[in-house]
Amino acid sequence: MDTIVSLADLTHDYGNHVALDHLDVAVPAGVTGLVGANGAGKTTMLRILLGLLHPTAGSVTVLGHDALADPLSVRAQVGYMPEGSALPKDQTAADFVAYTAQMAGLPSGDARRRASETLFLVGLAEERFRFLGDFSTGMAQRVKLAQAIVHGPRLILLDEPASGLDPDGRVQMLELIRRLGSFGINVIVSSHVLSDIESTCDYVVMLDAGRLVRSGPVVGSHSTSTVSVEIVGPADRFTSALAAAGVEYAVDRNAISVIADGDDVFDAIRDAAAASRVGIMRLERRSFTLEDEFLRRADV
Amino acid sequence: MSDAVIYDRGYRSYDGPVGGRSTTRRAIVADGIRRILGLRRKTRRKLLPWALLSLAMLMAGIVVGLHFAAGSISAAIAEGLPQYAELFDLFSRLALLFIAVTGPELIGPDRSQGVLSVYFSRPMTVGDYLAAKLAAFVSVTSLIYLVPQLALHLGLASLSADGFLAYLGGHLDIPWKIAAVSLAFIAVHGGVLAVITSYVDRTGFAAAAFLGTIIAGRNLAEVVAEASFPGARWFSLLAFDDHPRYVRDWLFDSDVGGVYAPEAAGFGPWTSVAVIAGVGLGGALWMVQRYRRFA
Repeated sequence: MDTIVSLADLTHDYGNHVALDHLDVAVPAGVTGLVGANGAGKTTMLRILLGLLHPTAGSVTVLGHDALADPLSVRAQVGYMPEGSALPKDQTAADFVAYTAQMAGLPSGDARRRASETLFLVGLAEERFRFLGDFSTGMAQRVKLAQAIVHGPRLILLDEPASGLDPDGRVQMLELIRRLGSFGINVIVSSHVLSDIESTCDYVVMLDAGRLVRSGPVVGSHSTSTVSVEIVGPADRFTSALAAAGVEYAVDRNAISVIADGDDVFDAIRDAAAASRVGIMRLERRSFTLEDEFLRRADV
Repeated sequence: MSDAVIYDRGYRSYDGPVGGRSTTRRAIVADGIRRILGLRRKTRRKLLPWALLSLAMLMAGIVVGLHFAAGSISAAIAEGLPQYAELFDLFSRLALLFIAVTGPELIGPDRSQGVLSVYFSRPMTVGDYLAAKLAAFVSVTSLIYLVPQLALHLGLASLSADGFLAYLGGHLDIPWKIAAVSLAFIAVHGGVLAVITSYVDRTGFAAAAFLGTIIAGRNLAEVVAEASFPGARWFSLLAFDDHPRYVRDWLFDSDVGGVYAPEAAGFGPWTSVAVIAGVGLGGALWMVQRYRRFA
């Protein structure tokens, strides 16, 4: 699979605050989720990818271009949807999106045609001649998405695209993002809502306080489950036996959560219990969400 | 039941021509001009700029018309009518109001409404953006200065007893003097406005601050410059609006505005030229510095 973004030892700090801490990430083509709590460094990372922010250290390659040395080549092929308010209130949606297309180098006629097409795609065909100041939050988010794709970018960076939307709007926005992925556009979407990423993305990059927690396919983590085990007897002997058998686990107060990578996990638990001479009081299989994984790996 | 089918056209990648940064700059200039004039905006955004522009053109028409009318009666009456320097005095005040009303609209909303984060995600630099905004500002503002002056120049040429071409040939200095004085007014007003709008987001406040700096600042500078403490005369240089007027009177060899603050403080016209250049250039560099954080 092609790598569209590559970060090597990327570090950025704002004075004493380290926003990104020695990140090494390779993002493949497709729809990628950038996950982390507020302040985890997601927006900083997106701004660095666009070349709008110069990192303290490290290197960044986007679509084969060095984002630090040649940011304009990156921006020519990338669309960006910022978080929060980013629309001029006194322009119509059609004028604004066409203008942003022209800013990307499209001739005037092509820009207006593309603006109509993309506004149609995001569901604003009827409203495109209304002034943006009169738009609801959901409509405004769609316009921001339209301007991000109007010039035909190879990659779009979406910063909290579902932020501020009601449940219906949220579902529709995520559906739109999924559709863009199906059209062959590479997407990096940041969110602090892990279930959004889980339902939308193929790949996930998890950040916590600027550190990389995990990067890998969403499918891999989604299909994984845990087995919650309660035992009678010394927990340390049991966990040592699990570790010796190469089984990944986490201790959570009274229960031990064992990562179930395959069907033979129950055999492994049985064998570990026998070897450590402890009794099994309860076994319960739970589905394992990105949120579980984030909490487990991020030490939160 | 209809057999019509609605097709979802989906998304098609763009494979047409893509221009470079010059295309981007042209787009910003065009949008800047539309923004100043309120084009493709709500009606209330059009009212003031078009009212002021119409007033300027109407006044220019009246002045030229008066020259025609007076010229047919008596050359002496025509000589008493406003000429180039007087016309600058008349239109610079109108231009001041026009700049106060439209200038902050050109810059402020992009920043206060967060749109810069979208714009700077496009392949352009801060320099491209600000240069294009400046070009839009100069091209519209210069209309107020140049159109009436050129109308007057052509009107006087057509009234000349020596003939149209002979008048133009005999007054080759007039076009460059008109351009130079127009540039001087635009540089001073634009420089001051750039510093103010780089801080003040609200367009109304920015307009008030601009007019206050130019009008009240002039009076204050004049008073302080006349004080008796050492170096007080240097404060006369803060009477920004006096510098282009001083240069205008110098170039057109006229005495429209009497004695200006820098002149009264003992500074020559070249000092005013330096201040004009400094304010214009300083405002532009200040703006670039302030906008570096966006890209």
